[in-house]
Amino acid sequence: MNKVLISVLGSDQPGIMAKVASIINQHNGNIENLSQTLLDNVFGALLMANLAEDDSSEKLEQSLQDQTRGMNLYIRVHPWQAEPSDWHQNKPETQPYIVTAIGPDRQGLVAEIAGELFKHGVNISNIQAIFKGGKNPMDNLMVFEVDVPRATVMNDLRDALDSMEINFQHRRIFESVSNILN
Amino acid sequence: MLTPKEIISTLQMVREENLDLRTVTVGINLTDCVSDDIETFKRKIYDKITRTAGQLVATCNRIERRYGIEVANKRISVSPIGVVGAPFNAAQMVEIALTLDKAAIELGVDFVGGFSALVEKGMSHGDQALIEAIPQALTESQRVCSSVNVASTRAGLNMDAIKRMGVVIKQAAAMTADDDGLAAAKLVVFANIPQDVPFMAGAYLGIGEADAVVSVGVSGPGVVKAALERAMAEEDNMDLSRAADVIKQTAARLTRAGELVGREVAEILGLPFGIVDLSLAPTPNENDSVGEIFEAIGLPAIGAPGSTAFLAMLNDAVKKGGAFASSHVGGLSGAFIPVCEDLTIARSAAEGTLALEKLEAMTAVCSVGLDMIALPGDTSAEMLSAIIADEMAIGVINKKTTAARLIPAPGKQAGDHVVFGGLLGEGPVMAVNMGSQENRFVRLGGRIPAPIQSLVN
Repeated sequence: MNKVLISVLGSDQPGIMAKVASIINQHNGNIENLSQTLLDNVFGALLMANLAEDDSSEKLEQSLQDQTRGMNLYIRVHPWQAEPSDWHQNKPETQPYIVTAIGPDRQGLVAEIAGELFKHGVNISNIQAIFKGGKNPMDNLMVFEVDVPRATVMNDLRDALDSMEINFQHRRIFESVSNILN
Repeated sequence: MLTPKEIISTLQMVREENLDLRTVTVGINLTDCVSDDIETFKRKIYDKITRTAGQLVATCNRIERRYGIEVANKRISVSPIGVVGAPFNAAQMVEIALTLDKAAIELGVDFVGGFSALVEKGMSHGDQALIEAIPQALTESQRVCSSVNVASTRAGLNMDAIKRMGVVIKQAAAMTADDDGLAAAKLVVFANIPQDVPFMAGAYLGIGEADAVVSVGVSGPGVVKAALERAMAEEDNMDLSRAADVIKQTAARLTRAGELVGREVAEILGLPFGIVDLSLAPTPNENDSVGEIFEAIGLPAIGAPGSTAFLAMLNDAVKKGGAFASSHVGGLSGAFIPVCEDLTIARSAAEGTLALEKLEAMTAVCSVGLDMIALPGDTSAEMLSAIIADEMAIGVINKKTTAARLIPAPGKQAGDHVVFGGLLGEGPVMAVNMGSQENRFVRLGGRIPAPIQSLVN
């Protein structure tokens, strides 16, 4: 096993994934998992790959940087042998919740919400922010997908988020109400 | 991944528009408690009810914490006492009612229903004793509700029973005169009563049901009103086809939320899940009124011409949305128009926009009937029976459930105000266009035969 983590950042344009994947392939690497996202026009991708035993993260990083010159990308390759964190090794039983902050952006908002969630032992699995301005709530919201362990005292967490005017609702409610196929 | 639109609309529904899990009702079969010894029977039913539903309130509280959705009422429904308590006399029936009441208080549930008799074709000894006991039972107990099914499409109308119920309602109201006749507000007379209603006062557990079953009643007239208002404000091509769609989709969403919560409660209690009853059941609060939906769609007030047409559409759209969302929709499922429990309907009745006759017409197309209607205290038993007979005939002929919950408020005149408190609300005493208090038609008794099912004109 010669696992590496590859991060790719840069201005969005056609061909980033084609180029990166092709170079990994040239190194006889196999992409085992990947995630790509766009923030406005900024491209970001995280790939997990397994390289040939005689290859190295340094060599792959060099090839990626050389062959994407001119595309203005920031590419890093890290060897990855770390053990899963304590949270993932001893993952407690959790319930999935959606935390929603509706309203315009302001400095410190993410820190406040994430801090409060952390204080109650909650893990964030996904965050999505939409700040387009204007009055439409759908254009100004931040959505946290979180896992709440059984040990969390629900009333305390609810009260804390309520006082910040943050919505907190079980994921299953959204799914059952919105999705007719489940 | 959820879209922002899905997130916002769900949050609005739950947090701002009174999505209401009105009731989680545990139906408990009491047929295995039968005995001809009253003490044994009382002990057995008390034990079975408290054992089966012992964790109901705690479980509902736990689910409330998990989902942040309030379970407004926790209730018990039992097998019809007229059947399982058949050997007993009226005085013993009162004791049974008080035992049910004691069990309800012990469990901390809001109501227990099933002090009931099914007499659409004839009355057994037990049914007669139960009906005789109703006024005292509902006066002395706090949480017991009673229902009597006096008619069905297959059996016709039992006019002897209807005649008797007029007297029983008068007595019940008289015995609670200090509370405007409150006992009568806990008594409903039905045609075609469903076996699995979780709503009160008509809840009982039918003989064809399991040993114990969890059903939920979901409400949310405020959600429907808000959805209609939003669509009317935002959409350019709004017409009634589109309005029906909006109601239907909203009903489906409400049903899904209710079923999710109900199934979890059932799972934790280790009981089978029965049905979701999606009924637009108002409470006496702003933004939780069925009458407001009529105003949202553009009618001057509930009761104005056009109300019957819109109510037909509303009721049908609610049923369609509910039936699509869950395979196990049951109970009454539709729109309720209880006068005293709904601020807007009570106001229309007080202002005279909504008369008893118009209400009766509207019940031909909605899910229940003449519900929570306060009448002048001097309304005779015969007149009450005649009003009930009219209402039952609408159900029997239209193959639907209808019901009458009439409260002849002692000492009150048309236009006076009555207060029942809590979910039962308050409202005006409505005038009855009766001419004479005597009614020889009702006095004839007997049965009105079941209607023909062909030649449908």
